[in-house]
Amino acid sequence: MLVLSRKVNENIVIDGRIVVKVVRTEGNFVKLGIEAPPDVPVHRQEVYDEIQRNNQAALTSGRPTARPPTASKPASPGGTPTAPTKPTGGAA
Amino acid sequence: MKTVELDAPQRLPVKSENIISIPMGLLGFEQVKKYVLLGAAAEEPFLWLQMLDNPNQGFVVVPPASVVPNYNPDIPQADVDALGIKNPADAIVLSIVTVRGNESTVNLKGPIVINRTTLVGKQCIPVNAASFALQQPINSLPVAA
Repeated sequence: MLVLSRKVNENIVIDGRIVVKVVRTEGNFVKLGIEAPPDVPVHRQEVYDEIQRNNQAALTSGRPTARPPTASKPASPGGTPTAPTKPTGGAA
Repeated sequence: MKTVELDAPQRLPVKSENIISIPMGLLGFEQVKKYVLLGAAAEEPFLWLQMLDNPNQGFVVVPPASVVPNYNPDIPQADVDALGIKNPADAIVLSIVTVRGNESTVNLKGPIVINRTTLVGKQCIPVNAASFALQQPINSLPVAA
């Protein structure tokens, strides 16, 4: 990691086209301004982190049955289950 | 009540045309680069993105347009170019579903964008990610019979 010291209002240039400016500091808090082309995504690290956590929570072991997660009422007792549990032809 | 059970044998055989490469991996799963996309008519629009080397693990995914109206992620141009996507019709977009019984949610902040021809994909963070939910509830789905 490249560590640079800057004073308020000083800039860092990345790849010749992304500018990071120190706008203000107040105690532990730093306000940064980022100038970047529109095609360059800039996000707080928390966004990356929360997507990562969400992926981890979504990981499923064992393929879920054929029952899409809907808000519909559970199958009534008289009805046949909708999940096709019998392997139809072609099961390896 | 979670209704996750081990499935009967795969509904679709693993074929090269179902294999998706994600060279950078999904966030948090960077080591896993190959998946196979499986589905069954009864599960539509949901699909199962299974790890190629670990068939017991994967993600329930769904094309977000099937469950969320007016979803308009602005995928970074660098990602679009890296995937060789020239227009929206070239892309398959899948969002990861977190299955929680009747309260499942879909991640709109990190869609998986796949080039339909090369089957190479990436989990992208849209430029307008802040306007989408990480856990968008899915309800009022057209119920598969």
